[in-house]
Amino acid sequence: MTSRAASCPNCGAPLSYRWSSSVQTVCEYCHSIVVRTDVDLKKVGQVADLPYDASPIQLSTEGRYGDKGFVVAGRILYQYEQGTWNEWRIVLDGGADGWLSDAQNALTVSFLTKGLNIPTEAQAALGRSFEWHGTRFTVMSRTLAHYAGVEGELPFEYWDKTDVTFIDLRSESADFATIDYSDETPALYIGKAVDFDTLRLKNVRTFEGW
Amino acid sequence: MAAQGRPPVSVRSVNCPNCGAATAVRTFGHAVNVVCQSCRSILDATNPGVTILQRYTEAMKEEPLIPLGTRGKLLETEYEVVGFQVRQIVVDGVSYQWREYLLFNPYREFRYLTEYAGHWNFVATLNALPGGGPTPEGAAARSYGGQRYRHFQTAVAKTLFVLGEFPWQVRVGDTTTGVDYVAPPLMLSAEVDSDKEVTWSLSRYTSGDEIWKGLSLPGKPPRPDGVFADQPSPFRGAVGTMWRRAALFAAIAMVLWIAHLVSARGRQSFAQNFAFDPKSPQDTSLVTPVFELDGRPSAVEIETATNLDNQWMFVGYALVNEETGQAFEVARDVSYYHGVEDGESWTEGSPTDTVALPTVPPGRYFLRIETEGGDLAAAPMRYRVRVVRDVSTSLWFVVALVLIAVPPILATWRSSKFEHRRWQESDHG
Amino acid sequence: MMAKLYLLYGIVVLGLMGTAEYRGWRLTSFNEARTVPRSVRDNPGSYRPVYGGFRRFTGGK
Repeated sequence: MTSRAASCPNCGAPLSYRWSSSVQTVCEYCHSIVVRTDVDLKKVGQVADLPYDASPIQLSTEGRYGDKGFVVAGRILYQYEQGTWNEWRIVLDGGADGWLSDAQNALTVSFLTKGLNIPTEAQAALGRSFEWHGTRFTVMSRTLAHYAGVEGELPFEYWDKTDVTFIDLRSESADFATIDYSDETPALYIGKAVDFDTLRLKNVRTFEGW
Repeated sequence: MAAQGRPPVSVRSVNCPNCGAATAVRTFGHAVNVVCQSCRSILDATNPGVTILQRYTEAMKEEPLIPLGTRGKLLETEYEVVGFQVRQIVVDGVSYQWREYLLFNPYREFRYLTEYAGHWNFVATLNALPGGGPTPEGAAARSYGGQRYRHFQTAVAKTLFVLGEFPWQVRVGDTTTGVDYVAPPLMLSAEVDSDKEVTWSLSRYTSGDEIWKGLSLPGKPPRPDGVFADQPSPFRGAVGTMWRRAALFAAIAMVLWIAHLVSARGRQSFAQNFAFDPKSPQDTSLVTPVFELDGRPSAVEIETATNLDNQWMFVGYALVNEETGQAFEVARDVSYYHGVEDGESWTEGSPTDTVALPTVPPGRYFLRIETEGGDLAAAPMRYRVRVVRDVSTSLWFVVALVLIAVPPILATWRSSKFEHRRWQESDHG
Repeated sequence: MMAKLYLLYGIVVLGLMGTAEYRGWRLTSFNEARTVPRSVRDNPGSYRPVYGGFRRFTGGK
C-alpha cells in the first residue's frame, strides 16, 4: 500500500490515495470526483452533499471478516424507491478488495468473483436458483437503483446516475451474492450475510443520544 | 481520510405540512416514512415538508402499550422503540389484531416486538434461507438451524394503524401474505409482499414480564390469554421425564412384589374340622384350642372350606389374643347354589371362603366361632377352618401400579389439552 | 417442577407399598374389640364382692 501524495486538480488541496488499487477518490475540500490515470489526476465530476443517512459505518471504520482485518476505504450510496443503501468499499489485510453492504443495518460482505456463469436480468427472476462454488443461491430481491453519492476511494470510476438493476441472492447457509447489471458485462459478487457482532467494528460513527 | 473527527449524527425533526406539528425522527437517516405525532398523517421522511403520503382518515386509534421513545435492554442490547403498527388477519369472518413495535439501535439490525393477547415475541430477520425452498408454499414443514418447524397458519395481514417511523414504506391498508411455522418457543415466518418478494424472520416467545423489566416500564404487562402459536408448553419436557420415572417406579414395585411373594411363606397355624346342624335351636358358638401366630405382625388368612350344596351359612369369627384379649372380628356369609336351566348349568357363590385380617401381632391366639344356618330343613353342614400366617397378596402391587400411572397420565392429558388449544388457533385446528 | 414432585410422590408410593406388604395391610373391614372376656370372671371390672353396696360401711348414719 503506497501512499501517493498529489494535489486536487480542481482546488489544489492536498490529495492522497491511500490504496494503490484505488482509481477514484473524492477531494475532501471541494468534493470533486478525481480519477487517476497513468499520467495524472483528472476531475470528472462533483459530489453534492450526501443525503442524510444513518449508516453506523464511515470511512476508516475497521473490522474483522473471517480471520482478516479490514478498513473501510470508500463508499457508494444508492437510492431506490424504498430508500437508500450503502456499498462500503473495504480493503482487507493483504490488499484484497471487498464490499460491505449496509441496507437499513442489514449487512453483507461480498467480493467480485470472476469466471462464473452469470444469468441475464431476465433469467434471474425472484425465486430462481443458481449454483456457484457448490452452493445453491436463490434470487430474493430485484432492485432498480441509481447512484446518489460517492465518498472516499473506489477501485473503479463510478459516478453514473442512470438506473441500474441489482439482484440479491441468498443461500441456506447465510451465503450472499449480488449481481450488478450496470455494465455490459454484469458483475457477480459472492460472500456472506453478517451481523454486527461478528464484524467487531471499530471507529464507527457516533449518533446523538447513543 | 478525515472520517475520524466527524461530529455525531444529530437528531432531526420534521414539520407536518398538514397540521404543522413537529415530530422527532429517532432513526436518523433510516426513516423513509414518519407518522406525524399529532395528526397521524404519514409523511415522506426524505421530503417531509413537501409530501404527505397518506392522510389519517381511519377511525382507529390506539395507544401503544410501550410508548414510542422508550429505551431499554432486551437480550443484552439497548433498543429504542421507534415505530408501532396494528395489523389484522381475518379468519372465518373473525378479525384478529396484533401489535408490532419496531426496535432501533444505530449499531445493530432492526428488531421487532410483536404482541397478541398478552403473548410477546422478539423478532429478527433471517440471514440464511430456511430449508424447503425460498418461497412459502403449501403446508409442508420447514427446517432452519437444525430445527423442524410445523406449518401453523397462512393468512393475509392488513395494516390498520401506524405510528412513529419506519425504514420502509408503510400505508394503512397495506396487505402482505404471512406464513407461519412453529417449533415452540420459536416461530419461523415468511412475509410475501405484492411484488412477490419474500422476507423471512424468526420469532422467539418472550414473557411480558421480561420486557417490562428490560424496558423499565411502569405497571404490569397484559395477562396472556389462551395459548399462542409458539408459546412453550409447561408440560412437554416434564411428560417424558415422568413416564421414564414411572417405568423406573414400576420396575422397583415389581421387585418389591416379587420379594414379598417369595418371603411371605403362608404358614398354616391351625386347622380343624367342625360340623354344624342348622336344625339345632340355639346359636352355635364354640372356641378353638390355642395356637401360635409367630414372626412379625403380618396378615392372617382364615379359610372356611365347607361342603355346602344349595345352602348358605353364616360364620362369625373372633381371632382373640389369649394374653392381651385383643380380638379381630369378622362375619362371613358362605353360600353355594347351582343348577341347570335351559340346558345350561349355573353356579352362584362358592363353598370355600377366605378372609384376611391385617397386621395381626404375633402371640398365642384362639378362634371363637359362631355359626348360623339357612333353611331349617337343610342338612347338617361340615366345614374345615384353616388359619394361615403371613399370607402374600398382589393387591398392593396393583394399587402401586395404578398410583404410579395416574400422574403421568394426567400430565399427558393436560399436555395434550394444551397443544389442542394451541392448534385450535391454527389453520389445522 | 412437576417431574420433581412426581419423583417424591413415587418414592412415597413405593415406600407405602413396601410397608403394606411387609406389615400385612389389608382392606378387609373387621371389628377390633378389646378385652373379649372368656368368662365373666375374667373381666377385670366385673363382679367383685366389694361392690356389693349393702355390705359397705357407710359411716354409721
